[in-house]
Amino acid sequence: MTQENPAEMARELTRLGQVAAPEPGVLDAARETLWAAVAAEMLSAGPPAPARRAADRPAGPARRAAPREANQPGPEQDR
Amino acid sequence: METDGTLIERSCRGRPDAFVEVVRRHETAVHAFLARRAGAQAAADLLGEVWVRAFAGRGGYDPAHADARPWLYGIARNVLRAHWRARPAPVPATGNADPWDDVVGRLDAAAQAGALAAALRALPPAEREVLLLVAWEQLTPAEAAAVLGVPPGTARSRLHRARAALRLALQEAT
Repeated sequence: MTQENPAEMARELTRLGQVAAPEPGVLDAARETLWAAVAAEMLSAGPPAPARRAADRPAGPARRAAPREANQPGPEQDR
Repeated sequence: METDGTLIERSCRGRPDAFVEVVRRHETAVHAFLARRAGAQAAADLLGEVWVRAFAGRGGYDPAHADARPWLYGIARNVLRAHWRARPAPVPATGNADPWDDVVGRLDAAAQAGALAAALRALPPAEREVLLLVAWEQLTPAEAAAVLGVPPGTARSRLHRARAALRLALQEAT
């Protein structure tokens, strides 16, 4: 192994990271999972609305934002 | 062309389907991110979970960030960690599991470059992670920092140490 040369080491690292293209249908199947979530949101009350201005909010009692994933940064939701 | 940030913002404002375009742009890259670390089968199993988590968490995305890749890799990383935690794997004697052993183990199996794989294995996990984000995902150190949730300076210094350690290990191996 002659990888004292940084460029050669980088090339070898890149080569190690090469993976085959996904099997046919893999990307479509994952997108279908997403579409189910998109459709559910379109049929329900609405999205998380991060930067929604006060004027955009419906009149009446404030809606409580849906709980979010613990690993997500906090959106600027209705408060 | 609209930025990812614009599309994600629109998806939060009554057009959730706009998010699908963001996914189309990055699905091959995120699949590769997963496949490099967990294999093709796990990548196929986990990719949909990444999209659902990203979609659910898009309200926290800063639309000023034009490229969503670092954010998506961060979510993919969390999905991978949950996958590794849930897997009935043998617990190491130290009790200090390093899921990246999987990655390096995969390299050992797949590559003839044993010295490089061994050098990668010897790196501290935090340094190895930055190095591979830059080498494999072609991220800048600042973007790698965003994936990992660390300051950019921290990512740069980890990258510097990782490269130096790798060079040294490879020199000693020759």
